[in-house]
Amino acid sequence: MTVNHLHPGEFAVITGFTEDINTDPRLLEMGLLPGSVIRMIKQAPFGGPVELKIKDYYLSLRVEDSAKIIVKKKI
Amino acid sequence: MKSSPSLSKEWIALTGNPNTGKTAIFNLLTGLNQKVSNYPGITVERKIGEIYLPNKKNIQILDLPGSYSLTPKSYDEQVVSEEILSWVRSDKKPSLILSIVDISNLTRNLYFTSQLLDLGIPVIVVLNMMDQIQKNELPISPGQLKKNLSAAAVIPISALKKKGVNHLKDTILSQLENPKISVQDDLPFEMTGIQRSAIRPLFVFFKDKMDYSPRLAWAQALRTSCRKDGLNIYGADIYNNKALEKEKWKKLTEIHSQVQQELKDKSVDLLALEPQLRYRWIDGIVNKTEETDVAELLNETRSEKVDRVMTHKVAGPFIFIGILYLIFQSVFSWSVVPMDWVNSIVEQFGNWVRLILPPHLIRDLIVEGVIGGVGAVLVFMPQIIFLVFFMAILEDSGYMARTAFMLDRIMIKLGLHGKSILPLMTGYACAIPGILATRTIDNWKERLVTILILPLMSCSARLPVYALMIGAFVPSTKVFGIFDAQGMVLVVMYFLGTVTALFLAVIFSRWIKNKGNSTFIMEMPPYRIPLFRSVFRQVYLRVKQFVNDAGKIILVVSIILWVLASFPKTDETQNIQFSYAGKIGKTIEPVIRPLGFDWKIGISLLTSFAAREVMVSTLATIYNVEADNDLIKLTDRLKKDIDHETKEPTYSLLTGISIMVFFVFAAQCMATFAVVRRETNTWKWPFFMIFYMTGLAYIMSFIVYQGGIYFGMG
Repeated sequence: MTVNHLHPGEFAVITGFTEDINTDPRLLEMGLLPGSVIRMIKQAPFGGPVELKIKDYYLSLRVEDSAKIIVKKKI
Repeated sequence: MKSSPSLSKEWIALTGNPNTGKTAIFNLLTGLNQKVSNYPGITVERKIGEIYLPNKKNIQILDLPGSYSLTPKSYDEQVVSEEILSWVRSDKKPSLILSIVDISNLTRNLYFTSQLLDLGIPVIVVLNMMDQIQKNELPISPGQLKKNLSAAAVIPISALKKKGVNHLKDTILSQLENPKISVQDDLPFEMTGIQRSAIRPLFVFFKDKMDYSPRLAWAQALRTSCRKDGLNIYGADIYNNKALEKEKWKKLTEIHSQVQQELKDKSVDLLALEPQLRYRWIDGIVNKTEETDVAELLNETRSEKVDRVMTHKVAGPFIFIGILYLIFQSVFSWSVVPMDWVNSIVEQFGNWVRLILPPHLIRDLIVEGVIGGVGAVLVFMPQIIFLVFFMAILEDSGYMARTAFMLDRIMIKLGLHGKSILPLMTGYACAIPGILATRTIDNWKERLVTILILPLMSCSARLPVYALMIGAFVPSTKVFGIFDAQGMVLVVMYFLGTVTALFLAVIFSRWIKNKGNSTFIMEMPPYRIPLFRSVFRQVYLRVKQFVNDAGKIILVVSIILWVLASFPKTDETQNIQFSYAGKIGKTIEPVIRPLGFDWKIGISLLTSFAAREVMVSTLATIYNVEADNDLIKLTDRLKKDIDHETKEPTYSLLTGISIMVFFVFAAQCMATFAVVRRETNTWKWPFFMIFYMTGLAYIMSFIVYQGGIYFGMG
């Protein structure tokens, strides 16, 4: 599954990216790397960006970009 | 282009991620010893200050915009990367880099710091926000961190509580007196043999042809090989002339594509390579494991809890609208009292000057022209202070990032970007810092569209015009029992400009071609109580600019205008209509008559091209000359102006509205267009803006006035 399918409060581990070539390097530099854990916070109003927690900070990115990040739900 | 302040021989640099309190530290270190430019907010670009060191000497410090990485994403980050890479080969380099690190967000902050450590320039790591955590929560001691990073020093401070600043200054001094550079020949993290041999050709080029140290050569080889466009930073660059010589550039691109092919053949995961290697190293240094990460993720910060309401799917947008409405209402109602103070001071001062000076032309010039003109504009300073104050609070508290988050989707639909919100809202204070703030939008098209519509956001220089018209023509009654009619009209004017701006964004984005794709990757900073010092600074800078303008532009315009309005003196009939100013006004009157403007408004439209608020001082000067008596409140003058022929009031509510509508749209601030020219690198866009805005102003005023007459409002 990909990040955009996570529900608020769910934890997940990043396992990879759907299309490497088009991934923004900034996502990786912000710490969204294979092996990183994240917690889904919420989606913005009007179907806007998603907010998630990674490391010790909160990051928001568009749904389209979050759909490029493959994750495995963590229980 | 404005010449930016230059650096002396010895200086240090201040860097760090955004939201780390960098500006607060800059201000703490420098006090007010800043060579800052004339525009508030231009500080996004290049800000130089002086630190007073314990040895009683000063050292210059260059403040760079906040950055996440040396691989730039937006224009403001590109400025940083270029500046930093230019240090390596030139003699113009800092003796020391201060890298500000937010202690509550250690690993991600150290990512950028680790890139700086490759440069071979001593780095002092400043751990800020020590007030946010308990001492025992530090994942690593400063001493250990210094050793592991091979930094020059690691200094914990709290900019909020002003703790540790002297320690930092002492450390800067001792570093300058005896610099300790630990030269390392290699990157601090391991690469596999395959990775290393693949990028070796680039390493050799950087080391031999560009004289990089081995560590930096490896770092740049790694960074540039990760991306197809990795070499952009060395390539043809439209903003600076830091590009490589042609032959070297050709050679470099050849090697680069070979290396990329090589990495591809060996199926090395290019993209994630640098971040992966760096983060693994950093996690090791600060003892982070998956367990500690999960524990940190479980922690719900206070900001997260607050955001359950503030960015709530339903409540969030309503709160945003409510906050905006409150701001504009209070700008109007709260400032009434201080405005009266300023007004009475100006009046008394004018009357006092009239008493002490002998009756003479010069006296008339000073009282009617200078004091009347400048005073009429100064009256509106309280409103501008309130507005800038609220905008500073919204930005410093972290709320602006929430609005970008909430409105990104809507903004995309309009052809803009979530990060357009901050520049657009800044435009309510002044368009110029707003235009500079668009540099954080990484997509060129979205940035351009934001710039094109930004001057339609009613800036604080329009406030005096609105306030004057509202004060003169809108009755102070209650609408629906709660809303003040005057405040309502003001809000409507802001609304008109904003809605038109957004509507035009849709149209403009249809016919401007897109370059590159658009992403929205934004850190949600924690809510912070705005620092009084910081808010005060922003207000101070805006007021300083306002008073400066009043002192220069308005003064000069007022004097010229007074002369034009007072001569030729026709002794018996002191009718201003026959003065030079009157003749000029009468000449353009036919053009603006359909908008409901007479020759007096015409003259003030002409002068308002210098700056919008000059409109008010122009009317004040004209009326003062005409009355040739005490300074009377301008609003009363406007109300009591009687047309010579019809014997009816010259202006009505409809005229007032028509004037305001004209000011909502008209292109009148030349400084704005100079900045647009610089930011877009062509005259095409500023001319386009002047054309469309002026056209819009005329058409909209025409519709309002003629429509009003048709419906019997005139």
